[in-house]
Amino acid sequence: MSTLKLFLLIRWAWFQKSSQKADEYLREIKEQNVLGDAVRQCVEAAAHEYDPDTQKALMRVRSPEPEPEPQNHPITEAASFGKCFLTEFSPDQFVTTCRELRVLNAVRESSVGMPLTHTQFKQMTLQVLIDRLVYRQFYPLAIEVCRYLKIPDYQGVSRVLKHWASCKVQQKDLTDEAIARAVCAKVGDSPGVSYSDVAAKAYECGRPELAIKLLDFEARSGEQVPLLLKMKRSQLALSKAVESGDTDLVYTVVTYLKNEMNRGDFFMTLRNQPVALSLYRQFCKLQEPQTLKDLFNQDDDHQELGNFYVTSSYRDKRLEGRLAQLQSAVDEYNKAKNDFAAKATEEEMRLLRFQRKLDDEKGAGLLGLSLQATMEALMSLGLHKQAEQLYRDFRVPDKRYWWLKLTSLAEKEQWEELEKFSKSKKSPIGYLAFVEVCMKNNNRHEAKKYVSKVTPEQKVKAHLAVGDLEGAADAAIERRNESEMGAVLSRCSASDRLLMDKLNRARVATAKK
Amino acid sequence: MAHSARRDSPELPDLSLLKRLVRDQLIYLLEQLPGKKDLFIDSDLMSPLDRIANVSTLKQHEVDKLYKVEHKPIVSISDQICFLIRPRIQTVKWICDVVNADKAAGKFRRYKIIFTPQKFYACEAVLEEQGVFGDVTTDEWAFYLLPLDEDIISLELPEFFRDNFLAGDQRWVRTAGSALHLLHSLFGPFSKVYGIGRCSKMTYESWREQVEQGEQKARHAEIGNVFLIDRDVDFVTPLCSQVVYEGLVDDIFRIKCGCVEFGPEVTSSDKSIKVMLNSQDKVFNEIRNEHFSNVFGFLSQKARNLQTAYDKRRGMDIQQMKTFVSEELKGLKQEHRLLSLHISASESIMKKKTKQDFQELLKTEHCLLEGFEIRECISFIEEHINRQVSMIESLRLLCLLSVTENGLLPKDFKSLKAQYLQSYGADHLLTFSNLRQLGLLVEQQPGETLTVMESKVGKLVNDRTAVKLTDAFSSLAKKSHFRALSKKLNLVPKSDEEYDLRVPRDMAYIFSGAYIPLSCKIIEQVLERDSWTGLEEVTRLINGHEFAVTGADPKSKSDAQRIILVMFLGGCTFSEISALRFLGKERGYKFIVVTTAITNSSRLLEALLDNNV
Repeated sequence: MSTLKLFLLIRWAWFQKSSQKADEYLREIKEQNVLGDAVRQCVEAAAHEYDPDTQKALMRVRSPEPEPEPQNHPITEAASFGKCFLTEFSPDQFVTTCRELRVLNAVRESSVGMPLTHTQFKQMTLQVLIDRLVYRQFYPLAIEVCRYLKIPDYQGVSRVLKHWASCKVQQKDLTDEAIARAVCAKVGDSPGVSYSDVAAKAYECGRPELAIKLLDFEARSGEQVPLLLKMKRSQLALSKAVESGDTDLVYTVVTYLKNEMNRGDFFMTLRNQPVALSLYRQFCKLQEPQTLKDLFNQDDDHQELGNFYVTSSYRDKRLEGRLAQLQSAVDEYNKAKNDFAAKATEEEMRLLRFQRKLDDEKGAGLLGLSLQATMEALMSLGLHKQAEQLYRDFRVPDKRYWWLKLTSLAEKEQWEELEKFSKSKKSPIGYLAFVEVCMKNNNRHEAKKYVSKVTPEQKVKAHLAVGDLEGAADAAIERRNESEMGAVLSRCSASDRLLMDKLNRARVATAKK
Repeated sequence: MAHSARRDSPELPDLSLLKRLVRDQLIYLLEQLPGKKDLFIDSDLMSPLDRIANVSTLKQHEVDKLYKVEHKPIVSISDQICFLIRPRIQTVKWICDVVNADKAAGKFRRYKIIFTPQKFYACEAVLEEQGVFGDVTTDEWAFYLLPLDEDIISLELPEFFRDNFLAGDQRWVRTAGSALHLLHSLFGPFSKVYGIGRCSKMTYESWREQVEQGEQKARHAEIGNVFLIDRDVDFVTPLCSQVVYEGLVDDIFRIKCGCVEFGPEVTSSDKSIKVMLNSQDKVFNEIRNEHFSNVFGFLSQKARNLQTAYDKRRGMDIQQMKTFVSEELKGLKQEHRLLSLHISASESIMKKKTKQDFQELLKTEHCLLEGFEIRECISFIEEHINRQVSMIESLRLLCLLSVTENGLLPKDFKSLKAQYLQSYGADHLLTFSNLRQLGLLVEQQPGETLTVMESKVGKLVNDRTAVKLTDAFSSLAKKSHFRALSKKLNLVPKSDEEYDLRVPRDMAYIFSGAYIPLSCKIIEQVLERDSWTGLEEVTRLINGHEFAVTGADPKSKSDAQRIILVMFLGGCTFSEISALRFLGKERGYKFIVVTTAITNSSRLLEALLDNNV
């Protein structure tokens, strides 16, 4: 087919001279349906040419589609012929070759000096070409090439910039400040250039100050952490890790610090970083309770120390150990000025001692019960005296004690005791409670005893509770209370005709007034 | 409620996609360890796992035996063991013990740990410390989100609440961010994100970071707006007794992972029955959002309808009968079965809840919410404690009192706590310490004038200095400011009007018309205004780190703009979900609730107990 190529070239020459024969030749080729191939071959041939003029000549035979950036370059100027003769010819090959040729011509310049053939270029790929340019520090050209060939930033410009920056930081004659500024100005926020990588390079070259400056440009705080750790800037690393919001990273730094620093410094560092501190506390709670204590100690956090002792008191099986722990808790609570907690803990200690004593004496099995549960247990064992002692010693509210005793006696069906108790003094919980509790334990007879003692407001309720409708009705009528009458009515059944009439009459009478 | 509904509600996106994705990933992970293997599963992952892949699916992928992680020596004889766990230090330590025990016994096995939803460095550190790092392989199963229903997604991380709000441990924030990121990449891009609370802010930031790192695909949004809210913005709502059916069922029977186990008292046999509670259950779907007082009416109506459907059989010829049996009967029977279950569940609830005590309890709660007859409430609580009605309930009332009243008077504070300790043991000192830290149970500061001054300052100069001043004040003590918020947002409807619970007029119906949940009210207000403007006073009182960010430009006024994802960080209650569903119906929105876990008053408070250490 080389004849064809020649053909075209000749034709080109003819055309140049405006010969009328040119047209004829071309038509001849076209008729053979080989024009496409001919054009393709010409373009290919151009690619392998070194001399720009020949390239131009070969390219010009090619079709006439809009060329890339027409005016700027000699090669493109050359490209324009045969357009009128060829329709439906894809311009891709032509465009690519044009671009590649421009790049090849550029690197063949003597100032660069890379006499690559087109085949070599294809073989080694564009990536490698850029790499070579970068290694020879032709950064501007490399960037130019990337942009011209429209390589995605990530693989192209950014990569070059990264190399450039890594090289820049090694320039010994410039100050840290100047380099940092220069890097920032060029790199800006190009995607894919990691300031932390550049900083790592600076650090490798023995310029830690520069590294720190560069790290400041790193937007993702998490990225800064590994290098900072390597540079032993652990405090900064910790605060950057916290800033990143990535707890795993925080934890990595904390573990690192724990092994690097002495304990005192480590705690001090944590103290300024609440996020890291709470993370470490969580870890200690599960892994090293003793460390947790030291942490609180260091902070003079007496409240937490108190809580710590209380918690550990429950782990201690022996009573002596438990009491000792609680005593420490009391001391800490006092230091924390938490009187309430101190007092409550002291009472707990007193209760424990009391329970121990009774367990020893009577085998009551009380240890560890709450005050209420202890009193309940004592009462059900019939140890009322001891229960009463607790009631006084621990200033148990009257109401609680009365409820407790009431239910306990009723449950054990000690009705006489109950009656005695009810008369011991005026009940702080009223007498309706007595009625209800007796009923709950299925003793209507006893319940009735207390109905008369109930306050007038609760009379109706009390009568109803024992099922005494008449009594309830009388009480409600006496009190002239409509809603109470209604309540009684709602409990009446058909057999209570008389009572219902009575109530209805009273209701009407009340309503009139 | 159907009559008040707008008819143009948008369609919800299909959340079951989430399930399919994680199932495929799990299978892939299991196949990474070819051959027969035993699988050990963290006990709280059992139910979530069951929703994703059942036992036969696991068996298909050569899982031989299934065990629950019990922190005891293991009995497995398989030479390959796979652990499927949450990234918790205790569990990893236990695995180390297992591995080391095998080593000591000269047994060789292959171990693989699958952390879900992610692994933490702390866990790997433990592996390293215990010298088994080289013996196990680790992987992550990105099981962030479990759709419990067509509009509820749970992260199933109950510990989120305690870790984040009590211990100040932010390890789960990134998890929440990743969960949001997943939703964004499947159903986004979101056009607007609102949020309130510190954790919300951090979650938002974590999510943004992940968006920036990944590539973005332009796609058609299915969810338009997102609202993030911290649980500590509103503690009042989860502390109230729930009276909407689904909430009540949760309070009483504890719904676990969308499934409830009705005990013998409901099934009236000696067996328990597990029932899935979601919109698939036609009966449940109609009553779940109803106030309990309406439920019986609904159920009996339903029963009558069902009877009519059955009655159709009479007078049918053979052909009709055949169609009836093949087409309708099965559905009717299913419905019948569910109906009778829900009826007995309601009866069981009635038995427990219509007693005098419960009525009084509710009355006390309403008084507290209204700030009315507080002394009576305190004596009620005192009696509650003294008579040892219930450890958690008493604690709940104490907290509700403190939160609504902005702390207790020093005298009451001491005496109530002392009585509580007498009832339930001194170890609750630790519980009190936790509650105080969270601001749930606090003493009124002697300088209560601060609040007065604060609000005055706030009114006079609503500028930066005021904000700074407030910050300074609020750092003194965590305060709830419930009263002020309630007034500002009209949370407590006037009690003199009759409230018809069958035809609710606002979200207050979920609490018998006594209180509009603060969390939902905030959401309503922000959506209405399309911003936080006009709510400055409210956010100041909450001290809330509020934000609103406009993201992808909504191309058209599409349906997606009316689908709102609400993410509760620290848990939300079924009552809140019901309230949002109501709001959605009223305004033509659809809400999808994402929560770190479903919570209620008991779960909230149990998470804060410390007597089990």
